[in-house]
Amino acid sequence: MAPKDETRSELDERSGVSRRFFLKTVGAGGVAASVIDGLQEALPHAQEAGTAAAPAAIGPGPVPITLNVNGQRLSLKVEPRTTLLDALRNHAGQTGNKRVCDRGSCGACTMIIDGRTRYACSTLAIEAQGHDIRSIEGLAKGTVLHPVQQAFAEADGMMCGFCTPGFVMSAVALLEKNPHPTVEEAKRALDGNICRCGTYVRVLEAALKTKGVARG
Amino acid sequence: MAEARQVPEVAAPAVAQGNAAYAWPTHPTYMGTDVQRIDGPDKVTGRAKYSYDIQRPNMLYGRIVRSPHPRARVVAIDLTMARQAPGVKAALAVVEPNAILMFQGEEVAAVAAATEEQARDAARLVKVQYEVLPPLTSVEQAMSPDAPKVFPDGNVREGAAEETGDLAAGFKAAAHVVEQTYNTQVQTHVSLETHGCVCEWDGDKLTAWVSTQAVHGTREGFAQALKIPQANVRVITQYMGGGFGSKFAPDAQGIICANLAKQAGAPVHLMLDRKEEHLATGNRPSAYAKIRAGVSADGMLTAFDAQTWGTGGAGVGAGFPLPYIYQFPNRRRQHKDVYINAGGARAMRAPGHPQGCFITEVLMDELADLVKLDPVDFRMKNLPPDAPDARWRAYFPIAAKLFGWDKRHPTGDATPGPIKHGFGCSANRWGGGGRGSHAHCEILPDGGVIMRCGTQDIGTGTRTLVSIVTAETLGLPIDAVNTEIGDSLYPFSGGSGGSTTAASVTPAIRVTAVKALDALKAKVAPKLGVPPADLVASDGRLHARNDRAKGMTWKEACRTLGAEPIAVDGEWQPGLSASGTSGVQMAEVEVDTETGVSKVTRLVCVQDCGLIVDKLTAESQVIGGVLFGVNYALFEDRILDRNTGQMVNPNMEWYLIGGPSDVPEITAHLVDQPERGVIGLGEPPAVATAAAIANAIANATGVRLRSLPMTPDKVLAALEQQRAGGTR
Repeated sequence: MAPKDETRSELDERSGVSRRFFLKTVGAGGVAASVIDGLQEALPHAQEAGTAAAPAAIGPGPVPITLNVNGQRLSLKVEPRTTLLDALRNHAGQTGNKRVCDRGSCGACTMIIDGRTRYACSTLAIEAQGHDIRSIEGLAKGTVLHPVQQAFAEADGMMCGFCTPGFVMSAVALLEKNPHPTVEEAKRALDGNICRCGTYVRVLEAALKTKGVARG
Repeated sequence: MAEARQVPEVAAPAVAQGNAAYAWPTHPTYMGTDVQRIDGPDKVTGRAKYSYDIQRPNMLYGRIVRSPHPRARVVAIDLTMARQAPGVKAALAVVEPNAILMFQGEEVAAVAAATEEQARDAARLVKVQYEVLPPLTSVEQAMSPDAPKVFPDGNVREGAAEETGDLAAGFKAAAHVVEQTYNTQVQTHVSLETHGCVCEWDGDKLTAWVSTQAVHGTREGFAQALKIPQANVRVITQYMGGGFGSKFAPDAQGIICANLAKQAGAPVHLMLDRKEEHLATGNRPSAYAKIRAGVSADGMLTAFDAQTWGTGGAGVGAGFPLPYIYQFPNRRRQHKDVYINAGGARAMRAPGHPQGCFITEVLMDELADLVKLDPVDFRMKNLPPDAPDARWRAYFPIAAKLFGWDKRHPTGDATPGPIKHGFGCSANRWGGGGRGSHAHCEILPDGGVIMRCGTQDIGTGTRTLVSIVTAETLGLPIDAVNTEIGDSLYPFSGGSGGSTTAASVTPAIRVTAVKALDALKAKVAPKLGVPPADLVASDGRLHARNDRAKGMTWKEACRTLGAEPIAVDGEWQPGLSASGTSGVQMAEVEVDTETGVSKVTRLVCVQDCGLIVDKLTAESQVIGGVLFGVNYALFEDRILDRNTGQMVNPNMEWYLIGGPSDVPEITAHLVDQPERGVIGLGEPPAVATAAAIANAIANATGVRLRSLPMTPDKVLAALEQQRAGGTR
């Protein structure tokens, strides 16, 4: 039930647009679906404009974006309000990560962005441009499972499987930072994910017995 | 007003009566061992395609407009603006003007548009004019004499009184009497994959990818509602993200999705969001019981008199078994279903049992304290006679030993400091059992094996069980079997409810695989010069029973088929499954009497399930069931605002489900009963946990909580009442 420890968005910090500021700006302007362009490194035309004083508004219609997902460049056209999760699921056919709560409380959408776990349902796709995005689809090499995936399969760290991709991503992020976590560390790292079938015991077992995850 | 779709308990014998031709192997290779899920790799990689993940060419997204009011009359629905919105390809009203809406979230209209964002925008443009009517928002309000009559046949439906024995004599024989009121909350299913489907028409034929626990039942549901032949409907469920009893039919959203797809001439994807899921797709009803119960000086139950009630929402019943398991020779019960303006109940993991178990088991501990008996000893004195489906007399001692029950202190942890520890116990029963299920097996000339069955894997591991039984029967490796399930084109199998899937499906697979093997033996026997009855299949070979060398490899045997594969049908037969399970659970808790926070530290579950097919997935079911019970005990609660009737926590941050840090140390002790055949296990372990935790909290704190969930505020209130000198 505990939230992810990253309550403050690293992306927001980098882009210079805090969530609070974003919401205030949209609210104050009364523009339902446009967004202030703060991702200067990601949007060439903003760089050309070159001034922070008059940021260009984009949207509300679809805009072209480029995402770096699992090492591949992915060019899509989505509305600025589209989340990273929906952009990948609905516009790129990458349905591995799941949409469950759609508001950052269950972790089924967990991806790894710049090495840290992120709720893709609460990350705008346009804000994710220029960042290194890893989703569940990027872990296995062909039919060879990632060590964490292999451990989940062996320990039966799943039942219906709908939370599983999120748990696998959280476990990968943990083990890349800390290859030998204690039980308490593993619980804490996975506390941002919820499973209804009750697979936690074996999910933790899988996370703790995984070997051979390189530091990320 | 519909009744909750309760899955009937199957009337089947408690012990399998073996049919020699199909009997389960006595020395199995795979059955009863740890076999990894065959679809595990698909689930851990995200390759598994759930209904939510289905994408079809030119697919649209559907969105439902729902009543924001718990009770209202529809005055008018105007779809004009919605139809003109960008991307919209279909819009329809679900109800007519003057319709009376009876719960928040009831379906009113729907749209489909090219993108999900457009569908949401268009749904907001549907103009619905409501006449808001005063709702019934609580059982107390609905039962009060001056409540408005909201439901046509009354807000309360009173059942017939059940009475056994001589109540007056029972109370006369009692040395102590407890008189208390107990209650359990409304719990929602919170399946992680929400309800919904993708519908696609080809002329007058419908294909629907549905998140369902019953592909065949859902086919029938679509056909009836859409007035088309069942033969024109195909329902596919390759993977589904949990149902827990709430997903047996197309439901309103399925029919709406099919109608939107028809109107638009394009496939439509319509999956509910989390709020809709909480409001409109079912729940476990609440339960209340005002009980007077007596116990004799020597600790025998003498009398039980209960008035019970509960709400299953708008027009749905709230039944539960009471008293649970223990024998009260003289008893009376009067039950009332109370209707309020909230989403209707549906079957939920062991319908009725967690409620009846919690109420009875907490009462049992109160009675045990009065006669100063250990809770286990007290229960042992009052259990029904031992039977194959009633083995608590054996399981209480097993659990006590595994748990270390002898270290229990009397009620109230006397150690100093704010943190108190306590033990609690409880028992459960459930039916399970098998029924008609069909399968089709093909053995191909190249050695390939296909087993098809129109069942579905709701996360319990059914797909893996089909492969295990087929491989076991044919003497092949598990990955040599191509198991195909989750499609209504495959032979009929029933819904996955009532813990009946394993006991329905595995006998059908066994019979079908034996028949297929017999057909192959008949082809091969003349070539080997061995009578077919003397041939056995093992380790990838067909050979003479007493001479392994006299045989051929599986591939060689199949090559003798020439161009014509073996294709046989089989069905469930009695003798391979049975009904009736029993179990016992013990819990240890740690309660912080300063904050009121209870933490479950340890749980022991002793549970039988007949013949175990896959030990690994069976244990997962037990662990998952126990955690379901922890959530029910401590966290979950559907909260309605008593003034507006609005659900205040229709999400996953305020409707609480435990996370990894809430997991206790769990001992899952499965009792294997090969002589009984397969029974089923999904529901039983979820029943007893909350009661055991409640009794452990009372043992720790010395105050008794009679209301679920046992949240910190309730613990603190009970402690405060005790300090103020209130009755325990």
